[in-house]
Amino acid sequence: MADSLGQAMRRIKLTINGRDFEHEVDSRLLLVHYLREKARLTGTHVGCDTGNCGACTVIFNGKAVKSCMILAVQANGAAITTIEGMAANGLHPIQESFMDKFAVQCGYCTPGMIMSAHGLLAENPNPSEKEIREAIEGNLCMCTGYQQIVEAISQAAKKIGRSEKTKP
Amino acid sequence: MFPNRFEYLSPISLEETLSLLSNHRDEAKLLAGGLSLISLMKLRLANPKYLIDLGRIADLNYLRDDGDKFSVGALTTYAQIKESEPLRNKCPLLPQTASVVGDVQVRNRGTLGGSLAHADPHADMPAAILALEAELKAVGPSGARWIKADDFFITLFTTALAPDEVLTEIRVPALDGERSAYLKAARRPSDFAMVGVALRLKIGQDQTCEKIAIGVTGVTDKPYRGVGVEKALKGEKLTGKIIEEAAAQVTEGVDVIEDVNASKPFRSHLARLYTTRAIQSALQA
Amino acid sequence: MMKLDEILVTRNWVGKPVRRKEDIRLVKGEAAYVDDLNMDCYQAAILRSPYAHARIHKIDLTKAQALKGVVAVLTGQEVARETKPISARAITRPATQYVMAADKVRYVGEPVAAVVAEDRYIAEDALDLIEVEYEPLKPVVTIEDALKPDAPLVFEEAGSNVLMHDKMQHGDIEQAYREADLVLKENFKVHRYSSTPLEPWAIIANYERASDSFVVWSNDQQHGRSLTNVCNTLGIPIHKLRLIVPDIGGGFGIKLALWPYIVILSLLAKKVSKPVKWIQTRREHLLAGSHAPDANVEIELALKKDGRILGLRMTDIQNDGSFVHTAGIYGLIKFATMVGCYTIKAMGTELLSVVTNKAPTVQNRGVGKPTMIFVLERMVDIAAKKLGLDPVEIRLRNFVQPQQMPYTTPSGEIYESGDYPQCLKKALDLIGYEELKRHREEGRKKGKYIGIGISAGVEPGTSNLGYYYTARGTPEYTGNAEGAIVGIDYDGNVNVLLGSVDSGQGHATTTAQVVADMLGINPDQVSMNAHVDSLISPFLGHSGVYSNKFNDVDLGAVIMATKKIRDKMLRIASHALGVPEGELALREGKICSAKEEEKAITFREIASLAYKKILFLPEGEEPGLKAIAYYRNPIAKLPNRKDFNIQLTHANSVHVAVVEVDVQSGTVNFLKYGIVHDCGRQINPGIVEGMAIGSTVHGLGATLLEEFVYNEEGQPLSTTFMDYLKPLAMGVPKFELAHMESPCPYTLLGSKAVGEGGSLPSLAAIANAVEDALQPFGVKVTSLPITPEKVVRAVRETKEI
Repeated sequence: MADSLGQAMRRIKLTINGRDFEHEVDSRLLLVHYLREKARLTGTHVGCDTGNCGACTVIFNGKAVKSCMILAVQANGAAITTIEGMAANGLHPIQESFMDKFAVQCGYCTPGMIMSAHGLLAENPNPSEKEIREAIEGNLCMCTGYQQIVEAISQAAKKIGRSEKTKP
Repeated sequence: MFPNRFEYLSPISLEETLSLLSNHRDEAKLLAGGLSLISLMKLRLANPKYLIDLGRIADLNYLRDDGDKFSVGALTTYAQIKESEPLRNKCPLLPQTASVVGDVQVRNRGTLGGSLAHADPHADMPAAILALEAELKAVGPSGARWIKADDFFITLFTTALAPDEVLTEIRVPALDGERSAYLKAARRPSDFAMVGVALRLKIGQDQTCEKIAIGVTGVTDKPYRGVGVEKALKGEKLTGKIIEEAAAQVTEGVDVIEDVNASKPFRSHLARLYTTRAIQSALQA
Repeated sequence: MMKLDEILVTRNWVGKPVRRKEDIRLVKGEAAYVDDLNMDCYQAAILRSPYAHARIHKIDLTKAQALKGVVAVLTGQEVARETKPISARAITRPATQYVMAADKVRYVGEPVAAVVAEDRYIAEDALDLIEVEYEPLKPVVTIEDALKPDAPLVFEEAGSNVLMHDKMQHGDIEQAYREADLVLKENFKVHRYSSTPLEPWAIIANYERASDSFVVWSNDQQHGRSLTNVCNTLGIPIHKLRLIVPDIGGGFGIKLALWPYIVILSLLAKKVSKPVKWIQTRREHLLAGSHAPDANVEIELALKKDGRILGLRMTDIQNDGSFVHTAGIYGLIKFATMVGCYTIKAMGTELLSVVTNKAPTVQNRGVGKPTMIFVLERMVDIAAKKLGLDPVEIRLRNFVQPQQMPYTTPSGEIYESGDYPQCLKKALDLIGYEELKRHREEGRKKGKYIGIGISAGVEPGTSNLGYYYTARGTPEYTGNAEGAIVGIDYDGNVNVLLGSVDSGQGHATTTAQVVADMLGINPDQVSMNAHVDSLISPFLGHSGVYSNKFNDVDLGAVIMATKKIRDKMLRIASHALGVPEGELALREGKICSAKEEEKAITFREIASLAYKKILFLPEGEEPGLKAIAYYRNPIAKLPNRKDFNIQLTHANSVHVAVVEVDVQSGTVNFLKYGIVHDCGRQINPGIVEGMAIGSTVHGLGATLLEEFVYNEEGQPLSTTFMDYLKPLAMGVPKFELAHMESPCPYTLLGSKAVGEGGSLPSLAAIANAVEDALQPFGVKVTSLPITPEKVVRAVRETKEI
């Protein structure tokens, strides 16, 4: 991306899905745009302007955050997990469960939902339905009405509980 | 969606921050969690020339039990406050309120200091801070000073902080034997408060209200203390009737705001209703 | 028409909740939405009008052009010179409008200029440098304002703000009124809302100088028509535009209106030497990305004392904003199933399309039917109350009975199948109606206000295009149809290319299930590219994903094309095996002798003959193993004001909403929500259930949360997702569902509309429930949305929401 005034550029170094990235970025570049355009990880999506939809949710230093509300320069030194990092060892149980439960329709909210679910299950391995809904309250879905997503996360929790706990 | 240009500054110490603020004053804005500021910058409603990121300053994020008080670093996140067991034991109103701010992602990034300094009239935390009669530490070029919560909020998005000051710490009391509650009227659970009422109260041996402090948000251009309600309840046995009569005063002398979610009369009604309900909730706690 | 047994040779997949093929890419974040396509692009940004109504006197782009990184600019003046006005469909008065405002703006957010730059950040900077001199004019915002005799005109040349005014009568409405014991009249007001797909509009346009042609990638829902619209507007022949539609992140009808921006992007692309990308921001989407119109509906029911509805009169006034292409459409779609599930023999309709200085409208999910069902089902409840009848009883008394199916309504709509009484009874059982009524009564004694709301609705599908010419005359489109190409590849696997796209409905999976059962194979052996490329996809003018047409004509085309392939494979197999065709069977990827299974030939071997060893083919048989078929719905009538079916399949459902209203805070909480729906034969129940729930949540949002608010200056106040409130997980109940299957006799598989689903009856169900809950206070619900303030006001003083 060009910087027409030749100023306000900063060098950032960060880890995404275990891989090192280093770029010169415009200070005003949003993290979500950095992920999509510089790191070429287009699984993280933009769905709104005001941090309300959660389509841009990633795990940032262990916590689920909205990457559209963070500047890329703030991510210097951070460790980020995006949806692309979830299937490192074959499909993650959350991903499998989303498929089992028909929790995906158009797919646009799906990466954000999965990352929020991932953040939840790392801290609360056995969430109630209420806790699941609370965990995805910041993730807007226009297609599913949430029910099958909640069922998928619940099923994933049981699956993961039976095997090793996965840290974000 | 696309902020204007600015120069990004990321000091690693408070001293450095103060020096930058002194140099740039009104042209600079401090960045904490970014949830309010970055949103405004994306809509180009805020266009600072200098953005000073507090995120690299290590010693602004802490939770410290100081005996009869609890000190919270300004950059402590809502999530950290919500999950702090010591805080839940000592001053539950703070984590109670933090746990209903926004959603998980908001709570993972948003900070107490950021919320208070931003002074959104619909924010939740200011109500709790007022009810807790907290003390806020402002550090400027000439040193540190403590601002009482009651003196902190001036008007819409305006606090008692000078342009060259940084809010560094919030000190809340230990609610020893006190009950507390925060209730808000919102269109959806994760929304800002149409009306939010935070309170703490102590019931004495004789079953009367020994102490009460109420913080109200969402009703006018700034959060405020429901002093009229407090006066009416102090020393009284808190029956349903007394609570309702007292709550009716919560908007006395207040210029109630109006927006798409609530007209003046409806907002006033909600203020009275939620004051009543918050008191009842605290009593049942 | 082929019987099911002739179509399907196995029943292993159709009807089963087969895991979706689409999902693996989507859960891995490997989808290909327009903004994901890896192309080196310039980025465009659009300057939009800050006024609802104003003349443009001057526009100065010199500073914007001078900004480093800006490579092209465009104004409305140029657009008006280079392009034709936007085509209108349903309106009958002249109204000239270009894809970009030239001398006048008619809504806040209307495009006024555009900029192309190295990146979007710079493009937005450039917008801030464009200077426009506006002369603000008095805006018209509400229907009432627009209808005043001295109202400012949105389109001066129209001479009025009413761009369509039509009256129709079907059946003998005067007689119905004469015979009636009672005539009930109400006025309803429904607000503006929208499905707001999470992926906004997105376009990449590339101009190929050498051939003077365009390649466009866009998440357009109706490419069949967009191609025509864009080419006509640009004044270029069809073959000069190649339109490619990749993955779509939700459509819901909202992506039917983006073609004017394809025109804008094409003009921009022509000025530069790289593709130009425009991704709509959420603010742009809420501001100017198309809404469902607000409407004032006056409705009268002519009734007998015993609750039978003899006649129905409706005056429907739509606030169509300011987009001539879609103005007028809603009224006609509404009118199609005006009589709902009932045997109402006479109907009088008056439809008005009013333009105002509000944002454009588009065929949002349901296209007026949510409003229509809201109005009708509310009236039925109001009538029940008036006559002292149970809301269940009055419906049962008026329902079209199963033995009357197929049933033709007075206007010519054909309800092909369905058991409405059974659907209602099932819904009441599902929800535990009797127990709930007791619970409600007990609650009332304790100051708990519980309400049960019933809504029965027809869910139509497959629009008989041409309906929008009802008021105008000669249609450019009639009926509905789709195309499909089905082929066997060298390996013996099946590939399908459909004329239409997918916006989240799992078309590739559903298609694979059908094809698998047609050929006796496994859906894993059937691949379908759900993208569309106008260069290669077998599309028609009707092609697109809208009006729930997939289960009807899309699958129809797939079936016909697969049948052609199957027939050809049987011919080739017969010749190769020396066994008569009639004695052959398809088993597990082979064609074999039904009696001697060892006499078999695999699909792969057949493909080898067809594609390579062509001299071994039967005499007269063409090489290759790919077939194209176009399929049209068989019962579409020609447009005729007296007898016309606007929708060609009709699913139906009953929704029962159970709410508790906090009368002090005005909040409405759900205790239960039951849905019984009948979409004919379900191909994939997992997909159907997801859409039944998701669509119902659209209705929930519309009823309780969402509203596009405008002030008196025509300034929109709901321009972010902080103000325009969508349902989130904590505020949505858990739904209970049950299904029925009344097969459709007019579609090949007996399947019917799925998609708009719950978005139609849910507004009425929730509104009926709220009114029921507030019965002790005598509140009547005649408007939407139902906000906390309206509830509290109604309870305390106005008695009306």
